[in-house]
Parts: sequence; structure tokens; C-alpha cells
Amino acid sequence: MSSQNFLDLLKQRFPGEIHRSALINDNELYVEIYQEKVPELSRFLVEEKSCALVSLFAADERANPSGCFAIYYVFGVTGANLFIVFKTLIPETKPVFQSIACHIPAAQLYEREIQDLFGLEPQGHPDPRRFALHNNWPPGVYPMRRDFDGRQKPPFVVTEKADQFTRVQGAGVYEIPVGPVHAGIIEPGHFRFSVAGEPIINLEAQLFYVTKGIEKLCEGQSIEKCFYFAERISGDETFANSLAYCQAIEKIAGIIPPERANFSRVIFAEQERLVSHLGDLAGICVDIAHGFGASQFRMLRGWTYQMIEEVSNSRFLRSVNKPGGLRKDFITGNEKRILEYLNRIRKELTETRNIIKSNSLFADRVEHTGILSNQIAKDLNVVGPAGRASGVHKDLRKDHPYSAYGKLSFDIPRHQNGDVNCRYQVKLEECFISMDLIIQSLEAMPPGKVREPVTEVEAYRFALGYSEAPRGENIHWIMTGPDNTVYRYKVRTPSFCNWPALCHAVKGNVVPDFPLINKSFNLSYAGNDL
Amino acid sequence: MNYLASFGLQILVMVALAPLVNGIIKKVKAFSQKRKGPPLLQLYYDLWKLFKKDTVVSETTSWIFRITPYIVAGAVVLAALLVPVNLNLPSFHFAGDVILVIYLLGMARFFMVLSGLDSGSTFGGMGSSREVMISVLLEPSLLISMFTIGLIAGSTSVYSMMISSAGTGFLLFQPVYLLLFLAVFIILIAETSRIPVDDPATHLELTMVHEAMILEYSGKHLALMEWAACIKQLIFITLLANIFLPLESFLAFASPNSTLMSSLLLYLAKVIFIAVLVAVTEISTVKLRLFSVPNLAALSFILAFLGFFQYLLVGR
Repeated sequence: MSSQNFLDLLKQRFPGEIHRSALINDNELYVEIYQEKVPELSRFLVEEKSCALVSLFAADERANPSGCFAIYYVFGVTGANLFIVFKTLIPETKPVFQSIACHIPAAQLYEREIQDLFGLEPQGHPDPRRFALHNNWPPGVYPMRRDFDGRQKPPFVVTEKADQFTRVQGAGVYEIPVGPVHAGIIEPGHFRFSVAGEPIINLEAQLFYVTKGIEKLCEGQSIEKCFYFAERISGDETFANSLAYCQAIEKIAGIIPPERANFSRVIFAEQERLVSHLGDLAGICVDIAHGFGASQFRMLRGWTYQMIEEVSNSRFLRSVNKPGGLRKDFITGNEKRILEYLNRIRKELTETRNIIKSNSLFADRVEHTGILSNQIAKDLNVVGPAGRASGVHKDLRKDHPYSAYGKLSFDIPRHQNGDVNCRYQVKLEECFISMDLIIQSLEAMPPGKVREPVTEVEAYRFALGYSEAPRGENIHWIMTGPDNTVYRYKVRTPSFCNWPALCHAVKGNVVPDFPLINKSFNLSYAGNDL
Repeated sequence: MNYLASFGLQILVMVALAPLVNGIIKKVKAFSQKRKGPPLLQLYYDLWKLFKKDTVVSETTSWIFRITPYIVAGAVVLAALLVPVNLNLPSFHFAGDVILVIYLLGMARFFMVLSGLDSGSTFGGMGSSREVMISVLLEPSLLISMFTIGLIAGSTSVYSMMISSAGTGFLLFQPVYLLLFLAVFIILIAETSRIPVDDPATHLELTMVHEAMILEYSGKHLALMEWAACIKQLIFITLLANIFLPLESFLAFASPNSTLMSSLLLYLAKVIFIAVLVAVTEISTVKLRLFSVPNLAALSFILAFLGFFQYLLVGR
């Protein structure tokens, strides 16, 4: 369905509600509507047109002619390369907005985030507790408002209610607090289990211990500098984040990167996916004490890191991207080396897969563990491998092709059961698909330059940049300011969508299975906390 | 041989050799993963390091927490005295000592479970409850196995059991012994917190059993607990080695005047063999779901019971 059809449909269904609309960057349909009408129109899109809420954020546009806060609701259209963005204005004098979380559960956390960071209150929200800010943050201080100085450090507030977790009561029910500091070398997060013996009744995660304020830091910075912030959102998704950032900037600047850059980007993005998935597979093996599998996958991950380092000189693919293309032509002269590595990895990976497949105890551990039902996955808009394991077969590379993905032939894994085994299989299959994509790109890439310089960008223009990170869809939205700066940068990483899904997937499982389920999702703390 | 000397040698072998077994198991596991692994003597270095360190004790604990390492180490060393490493070392034996061994280890566990609860930490309590669940399931199987062998030997003393099996060649060809060997081997795996029951190498507190109970210990206390754990492991290995693999008759066949030295070497070889068996089990399995562990305990019980039944019906 084209954008015009969609617009006509909306106008026909809701006559007189749409003040303004514009299609920009080929596939972003911006529709300005009254704030009271948002729940109705959103439900129409999600419930009748099977669109998914992929991002929801506010922007402090009080300095602009409108003089209001703006809230943007981004919907991805299923089956068409189109995003629909509702924009609604909230006056400073009446800082409330209609919550859509009751009908669209995926909106819950976004609305709580807006409440914490902007001080706009979602009316009718089922669970309006604090989320992005902890209780020791002073009330009434809203860090994402433009009049809040990001360098200032607000006082630490000591409150009576140190935690605000949901209490489960009953005979024999008790709570297990875990974290934020863990036994392994991992990022901080606090988990509160309510258990009856070993089975878990409820799990709540408290995150945002490593908030860096990236969105705030980027405001007013030059687009060159913001690129480095984007790369550092989450260490193991450096390339996916920089790619999303670059694409947004390129759209705003009206630049189309050269073909060679597009194919190179596919190669690097898939290398990053390979590393991430191999690490996850190793983690799954470690958590069920399968030493052989763990060391094999770790070895393969090491080889992939070596390949990446030899090609790009940076194991984490830092400074490989650049708005407009790539920093330099990394691929020329390295084609043979990449192919050799991939052959070695493919051979060893196939062997390892077969050995593990023949281990019935392994299968017993991963099957039926940590089931994420299809309904929950749909409602919470679970993305990436976790979604594809639960019957949500979405992939930005297929649904909204970017870079050179539209020119490559590949399929995505489709699983239904949503247990640890399915997530394991999805990741394993994607490793092979990634290697195929790299080989296809190496064959298909034309010679030529790898960068179209970005000189100047127009002020107050905006665009969505997106990429399929190893963990799932990654949506960035940028509005430029005057003098080549960034005015508002909204990052939504896949981890933000999937953390609540983890809490649902562990319910009913026993406590010692939690690390395994957690590892099968392998979410990023830094990517969530920003 | 002087009674006291054999007494001393028995203790020395059990206490000094115990950490080596862990080294052997780790080496074999590392080998299966194309790694070099830690040095064979790593656990000795670790114990040495821990003994030199200060002990930190939480303020919320009672005297139980502080006394437990000594009770555990004492009980385990006492039990080690009662399981002769060799026929030539009849250190200390009397009717019924096998029951004493089992319940000395039981007492050690009882205090370990208490200390896990005593610290009041989340993980200690979880470890204690899991440990009790597993040990309750294993105890009947261990008792039946030992009593069946006692029936065959006509005595409930470990030394007499060893003598009874020593003269009979390769015992594992006899179904009773094969069934009991497998039953006790499963108990060895479970009692020493090995995969598939527990993962000795894990850092994940939520999945731990044994490690969770001793999580709050540090320094000298921790060293005692770790050392006691590996002596307990060697006790089970020695039981397996000397009752089910009595190869002394072959040794006697090779050199009629088998000396203490050569029989100790044979013992060492048997210990290494069983350690490798444990390592292979760890390599080829994965950790079971916690609620599948009872199935494994049931398997051990059925094997022991079949052995017992078979002996009652048809003899050896």
C-alpha cells in the first residue's frame, strides 16, 4: 500500500482530523493530528492495519514557532516500505497527553520515559511509576528539556521508598534481589525476582544504571561529533548504530552514498552480526555448562574478530563508517582474506552445529525453556532474533531495505515456539545467512569511490535512520539545528523493546534457568540506558 | 608395619593427594576444548594463597558460620581416615565404619547447609535448599549400595569389603558390582557438585548449589571448605577404586612381593582413571535442569536396588 493510499484511508476514516501531512525521504509519512485523537488513530493503525509502534518520543520544540512540546509516534507498516509518523503538539501550560499504553502495550515504556525526561504526564497510563530515572533523582527536574543544563549535577534525593517493585504476596513467596553488580564481568542491572520455591512468579528489571545522557549530549553538537557519540551507544553494536546515524544524516543532506559504500556497509554490518551471534551461542553453551560448544563458538568469534581487525584495523568497527559513505575503501585487496576466513568459519561452525545437534541433553535443556508467546511478542513489538523465534518475522533488511540489502537475495529464519531453542536456532541460522550475504556483496560490489562528502545540512529537517542490529531493529531519528548541528537525536535500540519481553519469558521457569534465558536474549544494558 | 606409621601415611595420602584430582579433571576438560588449562597443581597454589589471606566474616552471622569450616574439615578428614587407600594400610577399621563415613560426611553437609542459611544472603539460602533436596534423594541409594557390598563381604567395615573384593579378579564383569559401581559413580558426580548436577566452574550465582553455600566464605575459611570438598571427592573415588577395581591381585601376579610403593602407585593409577572418567562425564553432558536431578538420583537408586535384589536372588 502506497503512502498516498494510506493518507487517503486515514482522511476518509477520520475526516477533518488531519491538519497537515507530508511525505519525506521517500518512505516517511508525517501526519499532524490533535493530541486527543492520537489513541483513536493509533489503535486504527495497530489493530486494523497491523502496523507496529516502533518508536515514540518527545522533542522540546518550545523555541520553535509552535512554542510547544512535540510528541512523535512512529509506526512501521507491515508489508510496505513505509513509516507513518504522527506528530502532536503539547503546550507547555498543559503538559499532559493521552496515553495509548492500555491498548498498545508497546507504548508503555516510551510514555514512562517521556514522563521522566520531559515532565509530560501520560493520562490514563496503567503503570505510571518512574522508569528512566531512579527515585533518587529530584522530582520536578526534567533532564531532556532544553532549559536543563546537561553539565549540572542535580542533588541526590534520599527517599523513603527506595524501590517501587510490584509486591507479590502469599504463603512461601519471597523476593530475590540480584544485582546491579553481578559476578561476571557484565553491565549493571537490578533484577527483582518474586519466587515460590524455585519457580519464578514475577520478575522486574531496574535498568538505567549506566545512563550516559547520549541524547542530551548530542544536542547542539556538530554532526561530525555526534557520529562518535552514535558509535559509542553500545560497544558491540558500533556499526549498526553508526549506520543508522549516517543514513539519517544522508537523508537530511539529500546524499545517496556510492554503491560500493552500500555493499561495504552490508559486509561490515554482517560481520558485526556474526561476532555478536557467535558470542551469544557461546554464552548459551556456558550457561548450561556445555564446555565444548562454548569453547568452539568462542574460538569462531575470535576468528571473526581477527578478520574484522585485519580488514578494518578496529575490532569493534570504530570509525569505519562516516556520513556519506565509508572513511576509506577497506575492502579492496582484502577480498581473498575475507573469503578464506569465512570458509574456515563455515566449516568449523557446521561441524560444531552437528556435534551439538547430536547431544540430547543439550536439546532437553533448551527446548521449552523461557517461552515467549507469539501474542506477547506482538504486543510488545519484540524485535530481532527474539521476535523471529516467536513468530514475529520482521527484519528491517527485508521489510524496509536499506544500503544494498534490496539487491541481495536472502531469507530470514522463521520459528514459532519462542523458547531458548528457537532463539538458539535463529542465531545459528543467521550466522550462515550473514556469511552468505558477505560473499554475495563481495561478488556484487562495483568499483568506485566509497564516500560522497556531506558538506552542509539544512536546519530543522528530520529523518529516520534505521538498521537491523544483531539484536534487532534499531531506529534513530534526527532533527538538525542551525550550523550543521543536531537539534534532537532520538535513539531507540532493540534492547529497549526486548527487555520487557525477557521479564515475561522467565515467568513460570525455575530460578536456575534465568541466566540461560537471559543469555538467549542477550540484551544490551548500555544500549537501553543510553 | 607400625600402626602409627600407616595411620600417618593414610592421612597424608588422602589430604595431600586430594587437590591433585581436581587438577587432573581440569586438565582433561581443557584438553577437550583445545585449551592448555591451568597447571596440575593450581588448586595447591590457590589453597596456599587463601591460607595467607585474611578472613572476612559478615557481621550478621552467628558462631555457626565461624565454626563450620573447622567442623567440615574435621569431619571430612576423620572420614578419610576410615577409607583405606590400600590393603597394606589398615589404618583404622571396625565393624560399621562405613556407616560412620556416610554420616560424618552427612554432618559436614549439615553444618555447611546451616552456614549457607546463617549468612542471610540470597544465594546461600538457595544453595542450602538445593543441596538438601539433592542429598536427601541420594542417601538411600548410597546406603543400599554400601549395605549390599557389606552383605557380600559379610562385614560393614570398608577394610573388610576391600579384602573381600581383592581376591576376585576383575569384578566389574559381575552384574552386582557393575550395577553398584554405576550407582556409586552417579553419587560421586552428585556429591562432588559436578556436571550434570552442578557446575563447579560457573560464576552464575542463580544456578549454583555447592558454590552458593560457600559464597560468603573467604580466606582461611574458604581454603578449609575447598580443601574439605576435594578430600570428600577423593573419599568417594577411593571407595570406587578399592572396592570395585581391586586390581591388587594382578599386581600380586606380576610381582609376588608387592611392596607398599608399587601398591600405592597402583592406587594412584586407579584414582587417575576414575578422575578421567569423571572428566569425560563432565565433557559429554550438560547441566541438568534442577528438577531433572531427582531423575538422576532415582536412576542411581534403581541401579543400587537392582544390584541388591540380584544379589539376594542369585548371588554374585
